[in-house]
Amino acid sequence: MNKNVIKLFDKMQNIDRRYIYIVVALSIIIPLLIPFNSRTYVTKPTEDIYKKIDSFAGDETKAILMSFTHDASTMPELFPMEVSVLRHCFERNIKVFTICWLPAAAPLVDYALNTAKEDFDVQSGVDYCNFGYKPYVLRLPIMLGMGDDIAKAVETDSQGRKIENLEIMKNIKNYDDMNLVIDFAASSSALQWITYARARFGANIAAGVTAVMVADNYPYLQTGQLMGMFRGLKGAAEYEKLVDVFAAYESKDYPNGRPFSKEIIKETRVPITGDTVPYKYKKARIGMNAQSIAHIMIIFFILLGNIGYFITRKKEL
Amino acid sequence: MKRQIPLIIIITLGFMFVAHSFIPHKISTDFFDWYQDWVKAVSPFAVSLGIMSLFMVHGTKIKRKISNWQYSVITLAGLVFTAFAGFMWGTQSGTPYMWLFENVQMPMSATMFALLAFYIASAAYKAFRARSAEATVLLIAAIIVMLGQVPLGAMISKWIPESSTWILNVPNLAAKRAIMIGVGLGMTATSLKILLGIERTYLGGGD
Repeated sequence: MNKNVIKLFDKMQNIDRRYIYIVVALSIIIPLLIPFNSRTYVTKPTEDIYKKIDSFAGDETKAILMSFTHDASTMPELFPMEVSVLRHCFERNIKVFTICWLPAAAPLVDYALNTAKEDFDVQSGVDYCNFGYKPYVLRLPIMLGMGDDIAKAVETDSQGRKIENLEIMKNIKNYDDMNLVIDFAASSSALQWITYARARFGANIAAGVTAVMVADNYPYLQTGQLMGMFRGLKGAAEYEKLVDVFAAYESKDYPNGRPFSKEIIKETRVPITGDTVPYKYKKARIGMNAQSIAHIMIIFFILLGNIGYFITRKKEL
Repeated sequence: MKRQIPLIIIITLGFMFVAHSFIPHKISTDFFDWYQDWVKAVSPFAVSLGIMSLFMVHGTKIKRKISNWQYSVITLAGLVFTAFAGFMWGTQSGTPYMWLFENVQMPMSATMFALLAFYIASAAYKAFRARSAEATVLLIAAIIVMLGQVPLGAMISKWIPESSTWILNVPNLAAKRAIMIGVGLGMTATSLKILLGIERTYLGGGD
């Protein structure tokens, strides 16, 4: 092999890591600043959550619970999921409860609710209810307590109002009614919901996790203990698309969203450039562009590093 | 007595909670309600303890001017000011507390987490080598899963996301499940040892 090529690869083996940092930074920043349309493929774990939530549409006797078990550090991945689920619930008139277990998550819940509710005519205590921050040590007693009586286990909401007096609690008593819990976390904290709320009370559990935690949660997804899962930013992007295509769809035939259909989702492409969809509802899809480029760059680095490794090894032999 | 009393409390309550899980009797439910009330009453003290501890640790650092003591001043100032903003003007949208969250905590926390991407890229280039057959399998699996995670993977070939799902669903699952079963059996054995008073190291000492 040409001596110059070997020398080049030799040099590249010891490249200053700051050059790698610059390339990674640019590959993330440019797609975020200049969004482009890319196809979002919807997977079954996300689809299952959508269908379950949508089956509660307009039903006064059903509700979902969103459990926030993360802080601001993992917001870029988890926040778009949370906003999309809230948007879906508000679009389709589904009762939604929120709860958080970390002090740092309390403003996050407010931020998610404020982001989603400004486009809808919804009222706290009627259409949604924020149970607020509950200390982590109370997680287990509250989880178990909600199986018998939510109002008794949670007692007050984030505004200090008695839960039992709120209009939203009409027809909602325990997990039989609040039949879907989605745990948003950067860990396997959904396991606790599976162990206590699902095993004991038969509640449906879903998880929204960061991409690095997906592999850890797969066993529960395969057994059906998790009825669905948002898999990192990709899961959030998929849900954003589902809400755009179905729940937020308006026409003469479907004034309040249309029912899910595999054919429609396959055929439909939602453009993320332009103003058709507000920025807050397409954040994950824009982020997926950056993730695509970043993954390609990392793969490129791996391949380049290995080519260099084999060339220099051959030279040494 | 110093060891026997805590041991009696743990064994008694341990068996009571096991019984509560399997016996849905009124006595069992009442016991659980009583426990819930106590936990609610006790938990706020943990917060006070945490704040006290933070003040003591950082207060000592500032007092003794230990290296980087300036960071301790910022930590305590952040704690006091955030708490003050929350108590004074509430935590709703548009308040100083929420402003602090949106403009200080959120971007700083996300920035720290985002640093991971740079380290991963650098480590991938410098250390992810096909040195052996096992490392080569790992490398190929990583590339497939990474491509399967982004839309580009499906655009290249339908086979990529399918293979990615297979890797997560079969080899990954088998390994995870084996680890989980091992951990589960270990936890059950340790719990039983604690309940029966065989395992006492948590009380201090080694017997």
